[in-house]
Amino acid sequence: MSKVLYVFQSGRLKRKDNSLILITKEGENKSIPVATVSDINIFGEIVINKRLLEFLTKNEICLHFFNRKGWYVGSYYPRRSLNSGLITLKQAEAYLDNKKRVYLAKKFIEGAYRNILKNLEYHYRQTGNEEIGNSIKNINQSFSKVFETNDIPTLMSIEGDIRKEYYSTFGLFLKQEGFEIERREKRPPSNPMNALISFGNSLLYASVLSEIYRTYLDPRIGYLHQTNQRSFSLNLDIAEVFKPVIVDRTIFQIINRKEININDFHEIGDGVFMKESGNKKFIQRYEEKMQSVIKHKKLGNVSYRRLIRLECYKLYKFFTEDEEYNPFVVEW
Amino acid sequence: MDIRFLAYIQWDYNCLYIKIEMEVNGTLIWYYTICKREAWLIGHRIVPDQKDNRIMIGRHIHKYFFSREKAKEVLIDNTIKVDLVKGRCLIVEIKKSSKFIDSTRWQLLFYLYYLKHKKGVVMEGEISIPDEKKRVLVRLSEESEKEIERMIGEIEELLKQEKPPKPEWIKYCKVCGYKEMCWV
Ligand code: SF4
Repeated sequence: MSKVLYVFQSGRLKRKDNSLILITKEGENKSIPVATVSDINIFGEIVINKRLLEFLTKNEICLHFFNRKGWYVGSYYPRRSLNSGLITLKQAEAYLDNKKRVYLAKKFIEGAYRNILKNLEYHYRQTGNEEIGNSIKNINQSFSKVFETNDIPTLMSIEGDIRKEYYSTFGLFLKQEGFEIERREKRPPSNPMNALISFGNSLLYASVLSEIYRTYLDPRIGYLHQTNQRSFSLNLDIAEVFKPVIVDRTIFQIINRKEININDFHEIGDGVFMKESGNKKFIQRYEEKMQSVIKHKKLGNVSYRRLIRLECYKLYKFFTEDEEYNPFVVEW
Repeated sequence: MDIRFLAYIQWDYNCLYIKIEMEVNGTLIWYYTICKREAWLIGHRIVPDQKDNRIMIGRHIHKYFFSREKAKEVLIDNTIKVDLVKGRCLIVEIKKSSKFIDSTRWQLLFYLYYLKHKKGVVMEGEISIPDEKKRVLVRLSEESEKEIERMIGEIEELLKQEKPPKPEWIKYCKVCGYKEMCWV
């Protein structure tokens, strides 16, 4: 199984013969077996050259960059060998056909909503806290508005309302103080929980982009998230469905097991960010989650990372076969 | 949908050079006899994940045998080996196991048919399964020629369809590279 390589060190990433090596600032040489690496996530200050990019292209490896604060900066998305005129055409057609576009946008929200509910219902059962019960009601109410509109910006704001309500419950079931949030702030996050969510979501956006890379889909054409505003948007759409199951559950786990605490965060400028120590601990749990498997009726054991790929295949079916698209919903 | 099939048969010294261009190719015949949906997908250039292990194994096998065996053999469509034996023209197709031998047979028959009718070269075919130390001779007959013609017609019709046929679970699905695309 190929893995994601995380580079926190600084130095030079080079091609050496048929392999990669990282020459760290301290002068260490680390060789990286290419055959086992699918993507490289870079957090350190890394020098690269064109020869390296050519090599990554040949081996179909994506490079994702994150800055000092853990923000996703951008990706090197190599030219692909996969090309299907048919799927590209159909994917664009679904964007231009407003009915189809709205359908997909709603489906992505539905996926997010259903998975959010699974999380909340679980914690409601665990704690019996009525406030969580109320939030579930509010969320159901917000979601019902989805059926009253066909306007993408309105859909986005419904999505926003659902998340706001959802995030406000976190303090009610987390077993560690200091991680409550009043509201979700992105730029910059003003407390540890916001920082954690931002970091987790950044990782997921990169992971989904890498999975899309291995399909015929064009990551620039999104449905809920506007095409044109940024270079990639389909990964943001698909990530919506998986955030509650992959990112949020990793957050609950890592906080409730007290693997991360307030000391793993610090202030930079006017925001709160995770320290490298926190990033590393989170990444470890995140990758474990991605590799953990669930049972699929026909396909046997499927890892969460693979589920993201399967979501792409479902989209193929929507685009080329007019099959319904039903987003992944976790069973428990 | 214009599917071009190019095959080259080269006969190095007493050079015989044949180029085949047509809608339906041998690979399609092979898949068609197994699963029509798969043939449609292949025909529309939708291929499964290239890192899929089964495909990697297949590639490896071909590389291995082609580098090992002697000259006077040529590739057709990257999978069919043409072996030119003393006065006899033989197409050899190498397979990992005899599991889908029937499909392989039709694939070979297609080549033989093509060579006979479009190029006027009569050849024989052989399916070789080195792992099982097995060789099976394949010859055109009147019946099989008719069957090939029928298949070509059906595949052409199939490819004109806008959507692939719905998946139907067969034994082959288990090992099929499209499994995830079909059964998600
Ligand atoms: S998985 Fe089954 S239905 Fe799908 S293409 Fe393969 S053989 Fe055909």
